Amino acid sequence: MFDFLQQYYPVFIQGAAQTVVISLIGICIGILLGLVVVAMNLSKFKPFAWLAKTYIAIVRGTPAMIQVMLIYYVLSKALPIPDIRFLGSSLDRVIPGSIALGVNSGAYTAEIFRSGIMSIAVGQTEAGISLGLSENTTLFSIIMPQAVRNILPAMGNEFISLIKESSVLFYIGVQEVTAQALGVGGTLYNFIPPLLVAAAIYFVLTFVLSQLLKLAENRMGRKYVALN
Amino acid sequence: MLTDTENIIEVRGLKKAFDQNMVLKDINFAVKKEEKVVIIGPSGGGKSTLLRCLNHLDGNYTGDVLFKGQNLGQLSKKELQLCRRKMGMVFQQFNLFPHKSVLENITFAPIKLKLLSEAEAIDNAHDLLKQVGLDEKANAYPQSLSGGQQQRVAIVRSLAMQPEVMLFDEPTSALDPEMVGEVLGVMTRLAKTGMTMVIVTHEMDFAQQIADKILFMDNGHVADIGTPDYLFNHSKNFRTRTFLAKVM
Ligand SMILES: Nc1ncnc2c1ncn2[C@@H]1O[C@H](COP(=O)(O)OP(=O)(O)O)[C@@H](O)[C@H]1O
Ligand SMILES: [Mg+2]
Repeated sequence: MFDFLQQYYPVFIQGAAQTVVISLIGICIGILLGLVVVAMNLSKFKPFAWLAKTYIAIVRGTPAMIQVMLIYYVLSKALPIPDIRFLGSSLDRVIPGSIALGVNSGAYTAEIFRSGIMSIAVGQTEAGISLGLSENTTLFSIIMPQAVRNILPAMGNEFISLIKESSVLFYIGVQEVTAQALGVGGTLYNFIPPLLVAAAIYFVLTFVLSQLLKLAENRMGRKYVALN
Repeated sequence: MLTDTENIIEVRGLKKAFDQNMVLKDINFAVKKEEKVVIIGPSGGGKSTLLRCLNHLDGNYTGDVLFKGQNLGQLSKKELQLCRRKMGMVFQQFNLFPHKSVLENITFAPIKLKLLSEAEAIDNAHDLLKQVGLDEKANAYPQSLSGGQQQRVAIVRSLAMQPEVMLFDEPTSALDPEMVGEVLGVMTRLAKTGMTMVIVTHEMDFAQQIADKILFMDNGHVADIGTPDYLFNHSKNFRTRTFLAKVM
């Protein structure tokens, strides 16, 4: 049933590599955007907070596929990205696609950050401030380390769903692993075996990631248990 | 600017509201050097709010709060931070940093603010921990300590900044009864060293012993003020007497 792999395995490896690359870029953009958006959302300057809330609401309330297509079509008009091949796809698809994944993920990450910061008791901030520490020192040395630990499980879930959701880039022609599986299926006139292979690849990727995150959680959790 | 250097803290016409809810209604009092001022009164009377105005943790008030003659409301952020270093604050919920060891909790601010070198800060922390009988817990994390131990560490953390006044907001209210004594003991010894202290507490015996002056706060007012002897034995104030009858 899986004989085709002897011939097509390079295609799957390329697709898997493409999936990893777009997911990594998406995660990085998502984290950076999430940080900016959470700062805006919690800011006392109302227009910033309003902008952040609007962005989050729109991303959460519309299908990822439409977001990806919109961003792709807008960016390909606005940005002259050279048509360079990279892991079986053109960069003028990979780059807008990864940005779209990041824009989508940023909204969820921002909300995770917000709940992480809110979950640190007000008392921790007051303790820092009353020792004469600056607001920045209190935020970065007292609140953030605890927030990071609190949000790690939720961030892990977000990374995992981003890897799976990255298959939407198939719609704009990025040859990630789903697209490659469909291509192979078309050649074989049988979609089931290649799709099973693609599913297995996603499973391995998310499984490895979740194990790594568990390791990180344990390392951080060894020293203390949250007091809230 | 030092109008009255004897007063470490001076509060003049302090008013504060949360939205429509007037919580502090024209508070006036002063705390002299080495004085122990105890604040008592029913829950919701504004005691915590008042204490949080004293070090400008909440700066959203009208009226004046002066620390050693400096009007906190008129200071820059930097100057305010310098004042806060000199005002230790101990909370009902301890608020130790759970991601730092006992030693790190105590040394973090003095090192970060460059008051002491790392070695000095550590030496100083061990000295202070010995004084409260907790030196063997220096490397423990807060969650492994009892409430009484955590509160003693919290007091030490404030003392490590070498404050000129210590503010306590119900330091024993979150403790199991058997641990109240160890914390009050530390505070009593601290009082004997000449530390200036402002203490919100429901421990009436302790208040009577330690206080030079007691404020009875009710419904946003300083409803009664005087020596422990006056307040507990001679006050004719109806609300003071009703409150004391209930808690004693
Ligand atoms: N952050 C806050 N927001 C709104 N109302 C508050 C806040 N903190 C305290 N209050 C109100 O202020 C009043 C006084 O509270 P507090 O100072 O905590 O009293 P006490 O410490 O004497 O029990 C209460 O009515 C309380 O509900
Ligand atoms: Mg209170």
